[in-house]
Amino acid sequence: MSSKSAARIPPEERLVNLVVALMATEQGLTKDTILSSVSGYREQSESGTSKDALEKMFERDKESLRGLGVPIETIGDRADPDDLREARYRVPTAEYELPADIEFTPAELALLNLAGGVWSESSLSADARSGLRKIRALGIPVEDPILGYSPRISLREPSFAPLQRAIEDSRIVSFRYMRPGSAAPRVRRLQPLALVEFEARWHVYGLDLDLDAPRTFLLTRIIDDVVITRTAGDPALREGAGERALAGLRELAARQRALLEIDPGTEAWLRLSRRAEPAAQGYWVPYVDLHVFADELASYGPEVRVVEPDEVRSEVISRLRAVRNAHAGAVQ
Amino acid sequence: MSGASVATDRAALLLQLVPYLISKGEVSVAEAADEFDVTADQMRTMVRGLTVIGLPGDSGYWQMANELFDIDWDLLEERDLIVITNSVGLERAPRLTAREAAALLAGLQLAATIPGVGDSQLYAGLLSKLGRGASRTPAAVVVASEPVDAVRRLVTDALGRRVAVSFTYKTPERAPTTRTVDPVKVLIAQGQWYLQGWCHLREAMRTFHLDRVSDLVLTEIPIAHGQEPAPEWFDATGENAGDEVIVTLEFPASVAPLLGDYLDRATVTTTAGVSTARMRVADEVSLRRLAARRGGAVRILAPIGAREAAREWAEAGLAQYPEQT
Repeated sequence: MSSKSAARIPPEERLVNLVVALMATEQGLTKDTILSSVSGYREQSESGTSKDALEKMFERDKESLRGLGVPIETIGDRADPDDLREARYRVPTAEYELPADIEFTPAELALLNLAGGVWSESSLSADARSGLRKIRALGIPVEDPILGYSPRISLREPSFAPLQRAIEDSRIVSFRYMRPGSAAPRVRRLQPLALVEFEARWHVYGLDLDLDAPRTFLLTRIIDDVVITRTAGDPALREGAGERALAGLRELAARQRALLEIDPGTEAWLRLSRRAEPAAQGYWVPYVDLHVFADELASYGPEVRVVEPDEVRSEVISRLRAVRNAHAGAVQ
Repeated sequence: MSGASVATDRAALLLQLVPYLISKGEVSVAEAADEFDVTADQMRTMVRGLTVIGLPGDSGYWQMANELFDIDWDLLEERDLIVITNSVGLERAPRLTAREAAALLAGLQLAATIPGVGDSQLYAGLLSKLGRGASRTPAAVVVASEPVDAVRRLVTDALGRRVAVSFTYKTPERAPTTRTVDPVKVLIAQGQWYLQGWCHLREAMRTFHLDRVSDLVLTEIPIAHGQEPAPEWFDATGENAGDEVIVTLEFPASVAPLLGDYLDRATVTTTAGVSTARMRVADEVSLRRLAARRGGAVRILAPIGAREAAREWAEAGLAQYPEQT
């Protein structure tokens, strides 16, 4: 066969052929069998591509397919498990397919369709659509869509995707983190465990390796890229991490609160009163992050006055001063 | 994107296409293309490509016909319909990847906050099915829900009963108005709820921020304008049809993510880490809150009236702390 016809088989067809072949075998196929019989490798084998190049291609293909969630099992030599020359490869059907006992009702599918549409433009939107397609391919009768609601979650932080990958693989990450008010960013090392959207902001919760304690970070304060290291953390920490992260943020909000005087009927009053609890003089309003809260209060200008605590008060005052100075005088 | 990852994405689509086509039995090219977010031509190419995929060929160059996927070629060529006539595996959909499951699980948490959408049993059942249907444990992605207040509950009720609502509406720089609105849609974004509907006062589709709504009651007036064309998504103010003022802002490029939606309608240029944005707004005072929120990092350059408004806003705020100024 000429190399021209070998080149005609696109790599995606080779990948799917490989899945079909590995699912059709009970006892597994050796690498040699795969390279000489599965379409996509076979033609290149016959056209004289070196064995070394083909084996490298096979290794890459296995990694690509595992990335798609295809469970490729390696059955080694019983006498010497580290010797992979005679290893056999297979894909166990039960681990590849959606479990046979999972079915979705039309009402569940309608709710999932709504849920899958929340990720406006982020990469999670493609993930959600792809997941929905798999579920719809189970052949579920279609129910009328849930009309009248358009829930959206926005996700602009580029650090989200690498953090999510690191959680899946229980890997340690490092990133530069800028705390407001500090002079320079600090490098943090973290085993990320959960991503939490709380009060419309994304947080990462994990084990801070330098402090050896759980910590929560705001994604907007992560500067440049998150580096996924090769160091693995303890996967057992992932168990219940979402609940622990959320409980931590809720506890913080319950512990920290500011006493505010709010001008009734103003924007500040409309936006804060839903969170506020009346006090003898003004309202108590809980907050999670001092700086985020001070930003919000500063935006209300004269509509709100901070009575206490001092740290909130002084953060708001310093912001208002900076705004006044930034807008004083004419523009050059 | 690298060539390898394009091929991997295409392979992922083919692995989903087979079970989809089998569950459908017969499906039009147009419907399948729509389901897979591809063009009709791309779908035809994918389906033709399927017919060279099959089991390993043990002897000779080519597999036997029954060892390859096959389709009804006549139906495809003549009526643009897809039917798989021979299948060699992949009949049931693959498990969800960890990321697919996480994306759906997080979306579900938000959808479940809507009153009456999905009872708790439905929701709990889905959480467990998605978890079990994933090939690996998904990363915990949590969307914290806020309690649903009376206004949100009433709006949901009105949508269901298809009646108009009446309420007081107060936007930041304007006097309160009384509105009667045919509810069409509830938009939920960044934890905020917005009602989109036909405003009887403005005689047009409008978007209302529910935090700014008070004294809301259901009327007995049936919805009359539910079918009016509505913008698919919305602009933040919902009331800025006559925006006249062009404002210029300056800020460090690193601050841009914090400005979020504001920049969606702005023209931004960045030189040496400093960004300049030009955008149309309703009036000169409307950006003073944005400037104040960013504590001096965002400067209004022009017009002078907008600069003044920001300075006066900060000064009025500072005047509440006489000991500090």
